Amino acid sequence: MFFATPVFAAEAAEHGAEHGVGPLFSIFGLEVSSVVTTMWGLMIILFLLSYLATRKLEKIPENRLQNAMELVLELLFKQLSPIMGGEKMAKRYFPLLGSFFILILASNYSGLLPGAGKLPGIQAPTSTLSVTAGLAIVVFISTHYFGVKTKGIGYFKHFVQPLPFLLPLNIIEEFVRPLSLSLRLYGNIFGEEMVVASLFALVPLFVPIPMMLLGILFGLIQAFVFTMLAALYIGTAAAEHH
Amino acid sequence: MSVNIHDMIWAIVNFLVLVAILNKFLYKPILGMLDARKLDIKSRLDEANDARNEAMQVKEEYTREMQNARIEAQEIITKATKLAENSKTGIIQEARVESEKVIKKAQEEIRLEKEKAKTELRNEVATLAVLAAGRVLERTIKPEDHEQMISQFVQEVGDVS
Repeated sequence: MFFATPVFAAEAAEHGAEHGVGPLFSIFGLEVSSVVTTMWGLMIILFLLSYLATRKLEKIPENRLQNAMELVLELLFKQLSPIMGGEKMAKRYFPLLGSFFILILASNYSGLLPGAGKLPGIQAPTSTLSVTAGLAIVVFISTHYFGVKTKGIGYFKHFVQPLPFLLPLNIIEEFVRPLSLSLRLYGNIFGEEMVVASLFALVPLFVPIPMMLLGILFGLIQAFVFTMLAALYIGTAAAEHH
Repeated sequence: MSVNIHDMIWAIVNFLVLVAILNKFLYKPILGMLDARKLDIKSRLDEANDARNEAMQVKEEYTREMQNARIEAQEIITKATKLAENSKTGIIQEARVESEKVIKKAQEEIRLEKEKAKTELRNEVATLAVLAAGRVLERTIKPEDHEQMISQFVQEVGDVS
């Protein structure tokens, strides 16, 4: 990473997404850090938005929130359908994939909030490898779970295809996928946040704004990429034909 | 790039909870509504299509009927015109014949009248002639007439001489 000069690296270590401000408290022995509280905050906001959007559903939607949600979901659905191989598949796995997109997008954008990464209790969840790895693990487990669920034991045949001696490579590929998913997302968001933080440290006024605008674009792209790749993996594993 | 296992577990738990929440409050209602709307629109479009087809059919039928009616009307007019033409010719012919008959009759009458008048005139003239002759004869027959005539005659001669 180009900004990883000693000064910035030290700064990154100081406010860095990786280390944050440490655990705030713990529940059932699980430490709750700023990324977790941020996720909770995002979940509450998403719940409220969903609730308000669908409280009184209208066939002819006058409710702008409903309109917006319909737009987002429909766009996402239309993107997912061809990747998953049909609307039926897309509909079946939509709750999982749609939530990836929405949570990752919200998480990415939460890094743009003032004080994110500096104040306790607020830090972009996707700017830590722990969270992106957690999400990638969900993708990994659900890929194989849905694969076995649709194809039974025959699902594992694809590990020895097209040729049996490719088995080790195939297995490595399966583990590389979540690794690349989590690292890509984490690297992009963390990097973007670090650049903004560094620019902010140098010139606090106006200069970070272009980078923040780019951050909006990157946040969307990364959420989209993660979701589409997850859709591709799950769609391929759970494809009903061949 | 260390991974905090606590954060990771929380991320997974949070994500699964969010899936459940969004599924209940967002995906199911919205996607259901989209489907319902799609079905509704489809059925309405189908209905509209059917109605339009029906209307087109009815319109076609009406057009055809109208055309038929027009053709029929034209036929009726043509027939009536021909009929009228025929009867016109007949009437004119009849009238001409009738008028000729009337003229002939009138001429005949005139001729007969003339004939009659001639005959009558002739008779009258004859009667007059007879009458005149009678008159002449009557005077001749009477002696005094005769004498008078003679004396008149003598007198006239005597005067001359």
